[in-house]
Amino acid sequence: MKKELQRNLVRTARTTTLYILVAGVAMVILFPIYFLVTMSLMSDFEMYNEWPLPMLPSFSMSFKLQNSQKGYLLSIYNKVDNTYLDMLDTNDTGYIINFVKRKTNCTLTREKLNEIIEELKNNSKVEFKLRKNFLLNYTLFFRLKKDAWPAFLRSIYTAVVTILISLSIGGMGGYAFSRYFFKGKNFLKLGVLFVRMFPAVATAIPAAIILGNMGLYDKPIGLAFIYSIGSIGLTIWITASIFLSIPVELEEAAQIFGTSKAGAFWHVTLPLALPGLAACAMYAFIGSWNEYAQAIILTQFNPTFPVVVFEYVLGATGMAHLATAGGMTLAIPAVIFYLFIRRYILRMWGGVRV
Amino acid sequence: MKKPVVFFLTALLVTITVSVGFATGQREGGAAKPVLVVDSRLWSPPEEQEFVINNVLKDFETQNDCTIDFSIVNDNDMLKRAKVQQSTNHVSTDVIIAYVAKFPEWVKNGYVDDLTSYVASWKDRTFSKGFEKLTIFNGKQYFLPIGADVYLLAANKKALKYLPSGVDVQNITWKQVVDWAIAIKKGEGVGKFAWTGVPQKMLIYQFGSMVLSYGGGFPDVDSAGAIKAWQQAVRLQHAFTPAVKTYDNVVPAMKRGEAWLTVTHNARVGQIYESNPNQFVIAPAPVGPAGRGAIAGTSGLAIMKNAPHKALAVKFLEYMTRPDIMLKLMKGTGGFIPPIDECIKLLGTSVKDEVIKKSLIVLNQGVLSFVPGAQFKDWGAVKLVVDKAFNQLVLVEGAVDKAYLAKAAKEIDALRK
Amino acid sequence: MDSLTHSRSIWKKAAPYLLIAPTIVWYGFFWARPVIQAFYGGFFDLNGHFTLDNYKFVFNDPYFLQAIFNTFFIAIVSVAVEFVLAFGLSLLINIRFKGAGVFLFIATIPMALPFVAIAAMWKAGLATYGWLNSFLYHVGLIAKNGKIVFMSGNKWPSIFVIIIIDAWGVIPSMMIILVAGMQNLNEELKEAGYIFGGTRLTVLRKITIPLLKSTITTALILRIISAIQIWAIITLMFGYLRLPTLVSQLVFYSDQRAPADPVYYQRALAYSVIVAIIISSIVILYLKVSGSFRKEENG
Repeated sequence: MKKELQRNLVRTARTTTLYILVAGVAMVILFPIYFLVTMSLMSDFEMYNEWPLPMLPSFSMSFKLQNSQKGYLLSIYNKVDNTYLDMLDTNDTGYIINFVKRKTNCTLTREKLNEIIEELKNNSKVEFKLRKNFLLNYTLFFRLKKDAWPAFLRSIYTAVVTILISLSIGGMGGYAFSRYFFKGKNFLKLGVLFVRMFPAVATAIPAAIILGNMGLYDKPIGLAFIYSIGSIGLTIWITASIFLSIPVELEEAAQIFGTSKAGAFWHVTLPLALPGLAACAMYAFIGSWNEYAQAIILTQFNPTFPVVVFEYVLGATGMAHLATAGGMTLAIPAVIFYLFIRRYILRMWGGVRV
Repeated sequence: MKKPVVFFLTALLVTITVSVGFATGQREGGAAKPVLVVDSRLWSPPEEQEFVINNVLKDFETQNDCTIDFSIVNDNDMLKRAKVQQSTNHVSTDVIIAYVAKFPEWVKNGYVDDLTSYVASWKDRTFSKGFEKLTIFNGKQYFLPIGADVYLLAANKKALKYLPSGVDVQNITWKQVVDWAIAIKKGEGVGKFAWTGVPQKMLIYQFGSMVLSYGGGFPDVDSAGAIKAWQQAVRLQHAFTPAVKTYDNVVPAMKRGEAWLTVTHNARVGQIYESNPNQFVIAPAPVGPAGRGAIAGTSGLAIMKNAPHKALAVKFLEYMTRPDIMLKLMKGTGGFIPPIDECIKLLGTSVKDEVIKKSLIVLNQGVLSFVPGAQFKDWGAVKLVVDKAFNQLVLVEGAVDKAYLAKAAKEIDALRK
Repeated sequence: MDSLTHSRSIWKKAAPYLLIAPTIVWYGFFWARPVIQAFYGGFFDLNGHFTLDNYKFVFNDPYFLQAIFNTFFIAIVSVAVEFVLAFGLSLLINIRFKGAGVFLFIATIPMALPFVAIAAMWKAGLATYGWLNSFLYHVGLIAKNGKIVFMSGNKWPSIFVIIIIDAWGVIPSMMIILVAGMQNLNEELKEAGYIFGGTRLTVLRKITIPLLKSTITTALILRIISAIQIWAIITLMFGYLRLPTLVSQLVFYSDQRAPADPVYYQRALAYSVIVAIIISSIVILYLKVSGSFRKEENG
């Protein structure tokens, strides 16, 4: 009896240690991401005037307005020190409204400010609370960085063209690999792998010259041509394995019932392969969407979105809250697409069972 | 993955491709009135262009019943265009706005008209003295400065308690700045002075302002003035913030309170000051034995020789350099200072006005130098030499190493065109 | 009839080549041509005359040796650290505890994040007044005046910071390869090991690791190849030249210097070639140990 108890105890202790370890590792992974999200929701005030930084973005801010010699003295409540921090001493009410918005992401309406000023005639100070505009950093990022939105569209365009090229060319290649035997097949397969692993930055400069000669330098379509090199290889490998898993007998059966070989492919094989092709498309999307090392070299006046965010992070002019909002805007589509293809990625590495 | 999802995604992709394809458009306009052609290097960001066209140029157009054809052209193309127009005797451009470093080339080639008599007849404006030697050639003024930028000092109010007694921040000398930074380090235990430590950023201008104050030229590293500046700079060895080498911009560090004291570009100082006006003190760039040294930039309005609408062009220059118009122009576009003394009278006490006021003091009293980028094969390489020297002498050795500086000076000379 | 079957059989023979042709053309045009031009262009000056100056410049570049050292040092140390951690994590996942699926999901999130987003995150995190110090303060590990300077910009602390950031982002993909390898192991062998009296450690050492050898090589070499990407994080965190690597020098010369002085394009090409040679040799090594060459003989 006692022995069993002891054994149970040991087992519980072991499980607990295991879960503490797992939780610890999960924390290390999630914590920075949590902070990326949090920072992208913080205002300039939370980001720069409070130390330590709050662990949660606030939903509202408290303000205090006092009469002063110059006009009005505006203070903002600092949750860390539990004190009001004097910010601005001015008689320009328009500037106060503007300042509140820029500094705290809160909207102070003119009516509200007039009310407060009216109240100030009888009181020495007025304290008030405003709700924070939670997603202002995101809209602000696009408004302040003028080329962000065109770059966003260019990035989508580039990704779509990359998908179209790699699916059509790579899909054909994958079909050939799965259905036919031909000379040099293995050599080609190895070649595809080699090209995929070759550092693309190393060829970016001559690629820029070639694109320039074609009149495609600094254009999304030229970028897509270069990006598709990597994704064609991947598409070949994935589609080859997909087509292999679809039995040739199915196609043959369809041909017996009177369709041509192309018809059989179109009506039988392709629909079955669609989910896998979609995964290839998404892989190509992520590859193109996240890429910026080549884009820096292959574009000049028409950068893609990652390049714009790259420049913003590199030269962040004291606006980390906006830089992180840009980073998040870049990350969200990639993560969503990743969720779709996660299973395929895991399977590609030899069938990880989850 | 389900089929509907796939179809949905395909549909989405197609829609996006099509809509992006249509997302480009063009505008065109025509005119019958006299057309004044203005080529400018300034205001290339679309929102600035929009402001200039709608809020400044439009008034001139209605007052003079003309149309302004305003376009952004870079300096080199502008010069090329002028060469073609002048040599074929077929001038179509009336007014140009060029960069200060290019002035000598315009004047030397005789592409621009002498403006001295017009300027003398405008009694209500005085162009900043600091720019005199840059706009006047052989006693004749060819350019009117427009849109200047300059260096200022910014300090966190928390640093004021370490300010050596009897020192006026508005008239502080470089030696006093260094003493101040050292006192802060002593009192706080950690350095609070900031410059941009990442290579190829603004350090060359921050240090260059100091060299000018000691009578050196820009970008000198081993002249007598520069040596005096280095002697002060090396005393800063431990007074910098610990992370100074990773600053590509001093604004974040100043906003966070990680750094308390800096000398930097007026646009940056504006950002720092506006982030929390009650927390910061701003002042003109510090002075030295030779005066208030500062790296400054400006552009210049000029009239093309044989311009087709000369009279209108003169009117245009008069309009653009009116103190009120100039101020409006500068406040509506980012980070520039109106290089006209009278603007100071029009300034209020707002945060932006404060920054302009301090900058005007520097423009008026300053020993100014522009960035002589055009005189070098590769300005980035010159920056690197100064960055390296700064790193070695100030951050590593903490002593003036004349042999090292002589070598660095040779490297810079080798980069001259 | 005869000619029809004949043409059909030709068609059948030609079909795979027609299907594969676009890939070859595409690769030839957009990959092989740039590669050849890079090799070729590195030996010419701006006027098209043959010269070795570009390579002379690279080998005399004061940053070149540093770049070589940094690239390899960071690659080797980070690969070692990441491998040990990833291996430990995959052993953990392989225990198949309840919630291992969720854990695997969490652990692979960093794979999807773009480098730029990761850099934005860490740049704000590691600033002296950033979130990591704030967190340490909140949990009571540091005092208000005891903020740790993670980003001093000095050489060794910078290398340390870079290795940590890289490990955070790269361990997941390494882990997946290892987990896959472990799951494909023959469980019976391990059981046999236990039956013959092996402890967990000896089974791990004598059976699991030897059986995983090819998986481990794959993981390591793939990792070394992608270590070339590390320049991006370095540049984002410290700017150019603070901690030069081969690729960051390549991008620095082509993107920052060449616009002012086109001769830097040629010099960057020389850098490209050196990077390409180093990486290609590692790739070929990988293909060799992974057994891809042998498969070719089997057809």
